[in-house]
Amino acid sequence: MTTTHATFIVERTYSASPQRIFAAWSDPVAKRAWFVEGEGWEIESYAVDFREGGTETSRFRFLKGEETFGEKTFFGNNTVFNEIVPNERIVFTYSMDRNGVRFSVSLASVELKHAAGGTRLIFTEAGAFFDGADGPKMREAGWNELLQKLDDHLVEGA
Amino acid sequence: MTKRTTSHATFVIERELEHPPAKVFAAYSNQHSKAKWFVGPEEWRQSDHQLDFRVGGNESVSGGPPHGPVHKFNGEYWDIIENERIVIAYEMHMDDTRTSISLGTTEFKSAPTGTRLIYTEQCVFLDGHDNVHDRERGTQDLLNQLETFLSI
Repeated sequence: MTTTHATFIVERTYSASPQRIFAAWSDPVAKRAWFVEGEGWEIESYAVDFREGGTETSRFRFLKGEETFGEKTFFGNNTVFNEIVPNERIVFTYSMDRNGVRFSVSLASVELKHAAGGTRLIFTEAGAFFDGADGPKMREAGWNELLQKLDDHLVEGA
Repeated sequence: MTKRTTSHATFVIERELEHPPAKVFAAYSNQHSKAKWFVGPEEWRQSDHQLDFRVGGNESVSGGPPHGPVHKFNGEYWDIIENERIVIAYEMHMDDTRTSISLGTTEFKSAPTGTRLIYTEQCVFLDGHDNVHDRERGTQDLLNQLETFLSI
């Protein structure tokens, strides 16, 4: 049994205001659009209650599961929002499961800061990655993709 | 307006304990045991200790020096492997201000003399409250109390 701890930071500058970016995290419809929907995944369930102490849960099928893991593969995500400061900061704890087996637990913060022409977003994740986990490198790549999708979502909705 | 700062830090504490992993793990999983060592300094007043030791279960305790602020601990368990690993996420409040949020991993490894305990805490300190040096020192104190409890 192994446990690997790691911290990574992803920073990105958006042309949207902190208010608009915060709304993309706080509004369930917007959040689902950039955070949950994605090619290659089939969403089984998604629910979010965006408030301190509230939870977000999703369960989705990885369509290439048989090819990649040799079996029908479902991923589960459970989040608890620890701290919410509108337009400024969100801190949350989340776990990832594959076919019911937990493979990581992370503490993440999102900071929104005014920047020239928009907003600087600083995403910091400190995670504990267990046996069979994707590991911090892949997780960082995943968040880079998600924050790009957030950008696309903001541009489409402009 | 509060100046928002979000400060991330990680510390690791290792202890060699002359007790088998199952005994050390039980000091964490059993409420009566944990309440004996997971406490503030002797002169502090303190609330009841609550523990629901299962994934998704909560733990809470609060206390503080006489006439001082109340330190509140509220945790939730995220991963438990019996005798091997415990992962908790916990928040600290000073009176009504949230001062930090942490992810704490305790690993219990069999060692020739008993158990090698590895505690890793990944913390976020909010708005300049608290800091990693004090947190690590406080955690060292708690682990000293765990050792004393185990040796009785």
